[in-house]
Parts: sequence; structure tokens; C-alpha cells
Amino acid sequence: MDRAALIRRLQAIVGEPYVLHRPDDLTVYEQDALMVARHKPDLVVLPDTTQQVSDVVKAAREAGLPIVARGAGTGLAGGAIPERGGVVLAMTRMTRLLDLDLASRIAVVEPGMVNAELTAMLAAHGLFYAPDPGSQVASTIGGNVANNSGGPHCLAYGVTGNNVVGLEVVLADGTVTWLGGRAMDAPGYDLTGIMVGSEGTFGIVTKVVVRLLARREAVRTLLAIYDRMDVACEAVSAVIGAGIVPEALEILDGITMRAVNQTLHAGFPEDAEAALLIEVEGLSESVPVLIERIEVICRAQGARRIQTAATAEERLNLWKGRKQAYGALGKLGRRTMMLDVCVPRSRLPEIMRRVLEAGRRWNVGVANFFHAGDGNLHPTPFFDFDDTSPEYARVIGLTEDIMRACVELGGTITGEHGIGLEKREYLGWMFNDADIAAMKQVKQVFDPADALNPDKVFPTGRSVHGAPRGKALAVPRA
Amino acid sequence: MADQIPTTGTSPGRFRLDDLLIAELRALLGDRLSTSAAVREHHSRGETYLPPYPPDAVVFPESTDEVREIVRACSRHRTPMVPFGAGTSLEGHVAALQGGISIDLSRMSRILRVSPEDMDVTVEAGVTHRQLNKHLRGTGLFFSVDPGADATIGGMAATRASGTTAVRYGTMRESVLGLTVVLADGRLIRTGGRARKSASGYDLTRLFVGSEGTLGVITEATVRLHGLPEAVSAATCSFATVEGAVNTVITTIQLGIPVARIELLDDVQMDAVNRYSNLGCPVAPTLFLEFHGASERSVAEQVEMVKEIAAGNGVGDFRWATDPEERARLWKARHDSYFATLALRPGAVAITTDVCVPIARLAECIAETKKDNAASSLTIALIGHVGDGNFHLIYLVDPNTPAEMEEAERLNERMVMRALAMGGTCTGEHGVGYGKMKFLEAEHGEALNVMRQIKQALDPHNLMNPGKMVRV
Repeated sequence: MDRAALIRRLQAIVGEPYVLHRPDDLTVYEQDALMVARHKPDLVVLPDTTQQVSDVVKAAREAGLPIVARGAGTGLAGGAIPERGGVVLAMTRMTRLLDLDLASRIAVVEPGMVNAELTAMLAAHGLFYAPDPGSQVASTIGGNVANNSGGPHCLAYGVTGNNVVGLEVVLADGTVTWLGGRAMDAPGYDLTGIMVGSEGTFGIVTKVVVRLLARREAVRTLLAIYDRMDVACEAVSAVIGAGIVPEALEILDGITMRAVNQTLHAGFPEDAEAALLIEVEGLSESVPVLIERIEVICRAQGARRIQTAATAEERLNLWKGRKQAYGALGKLGRRTMMLDVCVPRSRLPEIMRRVLEAGRRWNVGVANFFHAGDGNLHPTPFFDFDDTSPEYARVIGLTEDIMRACVELGGTITGEHGIGLEKREYLGWMFNDADIAAMKQVKQVFDPADALNPDKVFPTGRSVHGAPRGKALAVPRA
Repeated sequence: MADQIPTTGTSPGRFRLDDLLIAELRALLGDRLSTSAAVREHHSRGETYLPPYPPDAVVFPESTDEVREIVRACSRHRTPMVPFGAGTSLEGHVAALQGGISIDLSRMSRILRVSPEDMDVTVEAGVTHRQLNKHLRGTGLFFSVDPGADATIGGMAATRASGTTAVRYGTMRESVLGLTVVLADGRLIRTGGRARKSASGYDLTRLFVGSEGTLGVITEATVRLHGLPEAVSAATCSFATVEGAVNTVITTIQLGIPVARIELLDDVQMDAVNRYSNLGCPVAPTLFLEFHGASERSVAEQVEMVKEIAAGNGVGDFRWATDPEERARLWKARHDSYFATLALRPGAVAITTDVCVPIARLAECIAETKKDNAASSLTIALIGHVGDGNFHLIYLVDPNTPAEMEEAERLNERMVMRALAMGGTCTGEHGVGYGKMKFLEAEHGEALNVMRQIKQALDPHNLMNPGKMVRV
């Protein structure tokens, strides 16, 4: 089929305005939030219904083009970049709340629904949707499903995979099917579980059944300032070791605090190395008890100063520093690149030491603000050169050192951002050939022709950053 | 009996055992291979009313490497393999429908690593949940998933088991961080790891949790632990009607009161439990509750809130127990309820059902089911992890009276279809085995084809626990 005929066919499916084919219109879709790679799609289609998605998939397949689903384009691993061109399915028109079952605490939403909008709609009912990635004001539920997104409050409530009970999916041949349903734990293989985090390589999600949680009666937030990062990391383990699982347990390092001070006047001490931001939710009688116990533990663990938020406004102020941290780092360098790795919690002091060492070795500044309770780090190098500069090799060296250290400590090369194309060459650092072969067998079942988001997740031999250097020394998995 | 084709009609017939395979396995395992009738009989069914299907031989590996050797040998000889844990499954998962080799993992019972600071543990598949919790004494931590029987962690992962605390701490789905699995051709893979979250590669852990031994043999599992609560109390409250009890549960859950356990026992079940465990509770629909909290005060607050909700729903007797011994007695009685029900009718077998509906439909589903059951002559007890919308009926039937078996099947089928029509599922926690394959077909459409293709991709010769879960 020639291009003009395909465009006409797609226009007949979704309507003329919703097929983008002029180069200028396509530019927006050539990259996501991984700033170092871009590639223009051949066409962009904005479907409005499941049937349209199915018809578009069939048309694209008949034309021999790959299909890349895209939400808000906030992914940090390049998962939405159409490296081979083809058709980008932009799901941003499918934003409906299809069903809100208050009694069963379940909502059925379309994939283009923005994460924060869902929670805003639920507020009046005293409910919320738990996963709250940093991108939540822009990122879509469908994109969250593709990447198994997390967020600060996932410590207590789990990541996307723990909060999705069913999915409607268009398979690679255009077939529409439901995986899971409205009840927890549908029998048979957990296809919902394996679809979550598959980065658009198994199918196109067209409806999502999410679990909703009831807002707790009371929330209390505490900020503990530490002179030393390693002491702050030890305090994280002490809190959780005492049997307390806060709803959120975050760390900001000194560099981040100073950057936030400059942009927000947040009033963080200029000379501290770390701040612990801890939030607990629950019944009104129990929350003060918990926050008191946490305060005692933090003091015993050497906190210099502790501040608790008594009002909703004070709470939001404490969080503002954390939520806007990434933006504030823009002050530090022309470029920033947020990494995403995860280690078992007890390894936090060691991994932080190794992150700082790596920064010194490669002479790149690194800021850190992260989900400490989960052991999920976001080291963020900041620098003043472009990714085309020879100096960029230092950033890659740093990134690889950090990932290698995480794998050696029993962790993972991505906690919540996904592999995409950014990390595909490193998958073998975590999994051996047999593990990857088993994953490929599952991919084959869903997409035998490799038409859905091709060249993502698995090593291709072509890195966005040039070939990976060396192997992880040891792989102390499980 | 061994040549009997299962009633669901899935077995292509019995497989022919190769003597060479037995010789190979004997060379590998010595007397840890058994072909004795008693051992084979023990590995033929689990705790189920379904007919027994003994394997041709049972092997007792002691390491993952031995499991690999066994699987490779069986694979070479195209011989079916059935992983076996504690044999407590209720849906015939361990029955060797086509004969072959039962791989009994109970000797792989080492606890390989405990990391109190990370709150996780890696165990061999044959470790039971009670063994693990005993081992964790003194660490301030516990493993939360507690099916009534003392199942193995491997078996619980394979069936995605649940238990009374799932309402607060989740099921095996939430608890398993990573698995070591021997695939059908002997390849060894590891899924996941120790990181609390990972977006790295496909989440094969989720695929193997709940795969019921049909995709591979789980030999090790890394599971998460929870901190023991500072304060615990338990309560029982009886109601005039089942509706009153169920509505209390629904409101409790909807208000977000973090109950650790909330279980419903109907009047028949309470009568059985009273007799068996000498509990002395009223013979009426009753909720068993447990509250975990950071302090006595927070636990007392939860109790007060539930008490208030119960009062609005016609509660009769509300007792609470903070004393650990009294609590233990209550929960032991709850966990023994299966045997208590069996004791109501000596000689009878129990057919256990396992549906789960969205919690908003729970009262309706239970009411309609009870109405349907009222006309039956069978003794039927109801028990449920109602906080999740999951409940079980236990039908007591005389296994030698076909009319009774048929009656139970009929009632069960109607209940499953009722649950499906309400957006529910045919099995909340016991799994599919081969007892429920027909319902799986009713529940999933095209997705069942995907499941079948995954099975064929990972087990092309259909050797891993054949005849279960999906028809190939």
C-alpha cells in the first residue's frame, strides 16, 4: 500500500484531523523525555475508541509498518521513540472515565487519562489512585501501565502493577481482548501482571481497571535534617526496621536542597547533606502515635533538626521541595539526566557512597532525591555540554558505574522508568541468556512479527549511547 | 482408577513410562526415587474430592541442580512432570492425570537467606509457611500469607495462594519478589530479584506466580516479610443475618479501616467450629476480626469504629480478645474450620468452592447463593475472606452417592456463573487445577488463547503438569 492510500485508509478510520502526516506535525512525536534520542514516525494517528485502535493496528500491519503507542511522552527511557519509524498511536484523545464503581472501589478509565486528573476526580468521593510518579500532572494511566510506574507513595500502596486489576488490550493482530477483570486475582496465567511493564511491546492497552483506595482520616508529614547522607540512609532502615511502613519515605541530598532553596526559597539548611521526608497516613488516633515514634527514631539516628507539618498547607510546603526537585536542578547545569535504579534498602548507604565515588571518578556533578523506603534512587547528573559532545562519554561512564554497582548489590537497573531504548543494551547485566530467552518467548507469543514497539527492552547491539563497557563483575541476584 | 479420564475430559490418555527413564533417575537419586504404591497414592490428589491419579514414580530432589537433572531426563523421555509441595491443594493440581513423575520438593526445605533489614527472605520451594514463621521468631518480622493448610512456599507461589490476612498484606502476588524456575527443557531462569520495584524487562515473576506448575518447576522463592505489629487484638461478633455481617464488612473496607483479618462464618460453619474447637460462640453468622496497630490506642480506635458499624447492622454478641492465647485459640478454630465441617458428617467428603466478586456485589451474591442452597438436602457451610469479596462454600457429600456429588456440582456451577455475571471470578485463591478449567473458559475469551500460546511456547511438548489450567 502506498503512503497516500494508507493515509486515506487511516483517515477513514479515525477522521481526517486525527491522522498527522506533515513533517511539522510529526516533530512533536519524534522524542519523549529521554532527551538524547529522536526519530520521526511516518504517521501519527489519534484514535478515539477501541475499535479504531484495532482498525489502525490492522491497517498499519497490512502496510508493513511498526506501531508505537504513546501517552504523554514523559517517559525517561525513550520507550515512545519510534526508532524504526512507522505509526505512532497517540492515545491522548482516549481520556474518558468509563465507570466509577464507588462501592467496589474500582474505576475503568481510558489509557489517555492523565494520572493526576484521575485522582482529582476521585477527591470528592474520598478516594485516590495510589501510583504517583513525578510526572503525574502530565503522564497518562496507559503510559504508567506500560512502564509499571511508581512514585513516592508506592512504598505503602505498591506500584502500578499492584493497583491495576484488569486491562482491555488490542493485540498485535487487531484482536480485542480483556485480561483480568474487576475482581482481584483472575484465575489462569496473570496476563494483566505481565502486560504491566511490557512497554507497549505486547499490545495496545485501551481500557484500564484500577483499584481505588480510601483517603485516610489523617496525614502527618515530617522532615528530618541530617548532616551526613550515610546516617540518613541508616535512619531509613531504622524506621522500617521498627515495623513502621510510612506511606512515603524520601531523601533529598544537599545539592538538591540548595537548588530547591534557590528556586522555591524552601528554607532548607544550606550545609546539610540529607533530608528525610516521611509521611504517615491512617486513623486520627494512630497517626500522631506513629509520627512520634518516627521522630524518636530519627533523633536517635542523629537527626540535626526535625520539622513536622501540622496543617495541610505546611504539608504541601514540605512536599513542594521534593516534587519540584527535578525542575530546580535545571539551575545547576544546562543539561540534567535523571537515572533510575533500585537496590535492597539495607544497601542504601553503600550505593550512595558508590554514586558519589562515580561522580568524582568521572568528574560529573550528581544530585540525588529518591524513594529511599523502596531503595529506589534517582541519581541526576548535571552538566553543561550536549550529548553530541565528546565529554558526554563521562556521563555514560558515570551511568554505567552506577548501574553496575546496583546490580552487584542485588538491585535493578531500572526501578520504575523502564528499559525502553535507553537501557536495552544493559538488560544482560541483570538477566542471563536463559532469562532473556524466556522473556523473548513470551514476546513471540504476543507479537510474533515484532511489529509492536520494536527494538525496545531487548539488546539490539545498537546503544543510544554507544556500546556498553564491560560486564557487571558479579550478579548477586535473588 | 489410573486409566480413568477426568470428568472435564482433558486428558489425551495415559502416558507410557520408559524404563530407561526410571533407571536414569535411580542412578541420579538412589533411594530418593520411589515407585511404591503407598508413595504414589500419597502423590495422587492433594486435599480434594476429585479422583486420585497416581504418578508412575515420585522423586525427592534436594537441590535445584537435581531438579534440573530430573527435568532434563523427563524432557528427553517426553515424560510428564508434576511438581508437588505439601499436597494441600484443593483443585487437583498435583494429580498426575497422565501419569509420569511427581517431583516432590519437600526435601528442599532450607531457608537460604534472611535479611531482616530489607525485610525479605529467600527460601527453597519446600519450606512451609509455618516453618518460615517459626524461623523468623525473634526477628520482629513475619511472612503474612497464611492459607489454612501448612502449604509450601513453592506451592503457594504456584497457586497464587491467599489467606486470612490478604485484606491487609496481600496475596502471594504481592509477596513474591523473585523466583528461581526450572523450565520444561531444564533451562534455569531467575525472575525478578531483591529490589522492591523493578521496571527491568518483562515481569516473569507475575507469569510464574499462579501458573500451577504448568510452565516450570519453582525451586526457590524470594518473598517479602512484614513487621510484627506492636499491638494486636481480635474480636468475634455475631449477627442476626448474613446480610448484617456482610454489610459490616463492606462499610469497614470502604471506610479504609485497616483491619488485618475479617472473616465471615455462617451459622452452619459456626456450629461446626463450636463443636470441633469448643468455642462456645452463638450459632449465628459471625465475623472473626483481627486488628494490627502501632499502639494499643490505635487498635482500640479501630475496634471502636468497627463496633459502631456493626451496631448499625444488627450485631448481637461482640467479644474481643487482646490476650495472645485467646487470640491464637480463635484463629486456630478458624483455620481448622475445614476439618470442623468434615466432622459434621463422618464419612463425607468436602467439595470446596472458591468464588470472588467485587465487594459491592458480595451481599447480593451470598444472599442469592444461600437462597439457591436452601432447597438442597446437603449440609453446606459458608466461610469467607470477605474483605476481598472471596468466599467458600463447603458441601458435605457422600462420595458413594452420585446424586449428592451431582447436586453439589450443580449448585457450584450455578454459583460460579452467578459470580461471573456479577463481574467476579471462578477462583479467588485455590486456583484452577483441572477442577475449574471449564469455568476458566467461561471467564476468559481471547485471553485464553494467549494463555494457551504461552504454555505452548514455554512447554512445547506439554510435559509440565499436563491437563491443568489450559487445554492444549
